[in-house]
Amino acid sequence: MSAMIINDLVFVAVAGFTLLSALGMVLSRNLVHSALALILTFLGVAALFFNLGAVFLGLVQILVYAGAIAVLIIFAIMLVMHGDPAQTNRFNPSLGTHLAGAYVAALLTMALSLSIWFSELPQVKGKTVEDAAGMLAQLFMGNYVIAFEAAAVLLLVAVVGAIILARGANQS
Amino acid sequence: MIGKGLLKGLGITFKHGWEKNITIQYPEVMPNLQERYRGSLEFDPQNCIICGMCTKVCPNNVLSFESAPMPGSKKKQLVSYTIDLQYCMFCNLCVEACPTHTLYFTHNFELSTARRGEIKRVYSPPAEAQLLTGESQAELIPAEALEPQPDAEAEAKRLKQLQAIKGAIARGNSKVLDKFVDFEEDASLLMTILQADQKKQDKMAELMVDDKNKARKVAAAFVAKEKRDKTGPEEGKH
Amino acid sequence: METIFIDIAEFLTSWMVGLGLAPLWADLIITILQWAVIVLIITVNTIVLVWMERKVSGFIQERIGPNRLGPFGAFQTIADTLKLLTKEDIVPARADKLIFKTAPMFFIIVSVMLYAVLPLGNNMAVVNLNVGLFYFISLGSLSTICLLMAGWGSNNKWSLVGAMRSVAQMISYEIPLAFSLLGVVMIAGSLNLSDIVTAQNRLWFIILQPVAFIVYFIAATAELNRGPFDMPEAEQELTAGAYTEYTGMRWALFFLAEYTNLVAVSALAATLFFGGGQGPLLPSWLWIIIKTYLIMLVFMWMKWTFPRIRMDHLLSFSWKVLIPVSLANILVTGAGLELFRWMGW
Repeated sequence: MSAMIINDLVFVAVAGFTLLSALGMVLSRNLVHSALALILTFLGVAALFFNLGAVFLGLVQILVYAGAIAVLIIFAIMLVMHGDPAQTNRFNPSLGTHLAGAYVAALLTMALSLSIWFSELPQVKGKTVEDAAGMLAQLFMGNYVIAFEAAAVLLLVAVVGAIILARGANQS
Repeated sequence: MIGKGLLKGLGITFKHGWEKNITIQYPEVMPNLQERYRGSLEFDPQNCIICGMCTKVCPNNVLSFESAPMPGSKKKQLVSYTIDLQYCMFCNLCVEACPTHTLYFTHNFELSTARRGEIKRVYSPPAEAQLLTGESQAELIPAEALEPQPDAEAEAKRLKQLQAIKGAIARGNSKVLDKFVDFEEDASLLMTILQADQKKQDKMAELMVDDKNKARKVAAAFVAKEKRDKTGPEEGKH
Repeated sequence: METIFIDIAEFLTSWMVGLGLAPLWADLIITILQWAVIVLIITVNTIVLVWMERKVSGFIQERIGPNRLGPFGAFQTIADTLKLLTKEDIVPARADKLIFKTAPMFFIIVSVMLYAVLPLGNNMAVVNLNVGLFYFISLGSLSTICLLMAGWGSNNKWSLVGAMRSVAQMISYEIPLAFSLLGVVMIAGSLNLSDIVTAQNRLWFIILQPVAFIVYFIAATAELNRGPFDMPEAEQELTAGAYTEYTGMRWALFFLAEYTNLVAVSALAATLFFGGGQGPLLPSWLWIIIKTYLIMLVFMWMKWTFPRIRMDHLLSFSWKVLIPVSLANILVTGAGLELFRWMGW
């Protein structure tokens, strides 16, 4: 059995795990369970990154999504939840919302598949990126420094806005 | 400087880490008790002069004794001395009151017992002393026969006591029975038994005056029978 | 002595290949063996650490500590473990059973996974990852969720309050923790832990980055939920915080994970600031054990010295003191590096 087949098997296992936890997130009746399944999905995506050799991106996925954003989501759920937690994620019975949901899902799928279909993905053979973090850093701080800094300023503004919203603008 | 206090604290704990431990490995090593530590209250029957100071001064009625007149003299002799340590608060008043240092505190602090009754200590005079009084009693019997006067006096006193006890039982004052049973609830139980039966009441009163030990046994038997009768039918119902 | 474990691994690999096994499978088996050894190390370490913690606290309070079982009470922890193993496993009736049961498992898995990149000696990391330090930080952020799961799943007010406190604390202290490590990374020029160790050949980073070390040490204490930052499990007000409802082995798993994290954080401090396995005479794996244990002794010393810090003070200390200090440290380190480069070093 060659390394290639093992690699494929690992991919199938990780992808299956990711899809299963994504399904669990959608189908669970309990919002907290959904949020926790979402964390598993994030971890599965990170494992897919590892499988593709993008260790740094996978770790960013874990740190930012599974570690920080998921905690935020769970906090938000816990703070606004009331009543029986097992009934917090009920399916919406109306046909209109079903149709709208299906429409949005179809649109997203189409956009994703089209973008994959039309972009050129040259196959990299034999060569793996040794210092992905260093290359990313050079890109961020070199070619794309303005975009990077703009994103940083945007986030800073968002944080300051959130603090003002939380404290109330009238307070000195 | 910021953090100076933290370093000082760390220094103190570091110093303590090397100091001698103050732990005493208790069951193996006995704690070093102060000279005036009040452990168990003990009694030395030989020194007792039956003055009764201890029972008078005790705030919790921990102490009690029985004495009998020593035949042929005005002296009394000790029959038994009881320290019911469960009520003792170790106030030291009895030790202060005792003129002969018969009562004293020891350093024994391991006072817990497996049963409640075991904490009550009954002292009786040493065997040889009892033997001596026994002999003297045997000697003195004829003398007693010769002098009926004190006997009649004792008889009158006995009758008076009997009358008092009977009256108390008739009135339902269960406190007189306290000394003959282990628990207060037993005393009230016994009271109901006695009030139900005039014959038992008379017998019990006589025993209580004449032979306290026997009265105690009879009382225990009464209570035990009554309890059995009470629980018996209930058990039958199951 | 230096390469004894590497030699053993190589011998086993060649032996298995000699038996007719494909090298790939032999490597896989060796990796599984390495994990088994790590779990063994963790368990033994925890047994020693619990005993050590009780002894240290005893000496600081002028007591003797455990002294009944074995020499100096060394077997006390084993007896305690046996007791925990035989205790009843209670799941509260109103608990969210799935979350309640899986939380300790995830917690211990995350803690054990931290060891993947730690070089326990020269060339002795399970995975020689080139972003090892980053791996350590991102894995560490996952334990937050496990505590939150435990607190939520227990359906108990103390558990939830404890979990909330611990999450707030861990999120706040993760930032200075990561920032304090950045100074080291800037000087070493790598996120690979083995490279950082080799970069300390001449000078340990504790001398070059004392501020970073202090910030790291404080933030790590908070991340570990250890005293004086043990507000999340403040016994006097929250019984045991997120662990209130746990009994027997599930509780023991949390305990194990806490000590596992303590060892991991201390080993990381030894690796980043004290030259890892570098030292005279003794082999590298022994040096890292000695350094790790010395750092853990300091952790214990602090825990048994300082009183607990109030929750709001705790959070504002992180946001208003540690983060600015660690940012300033990064700035000064960068400026210093540029200066030295300009001077031509």
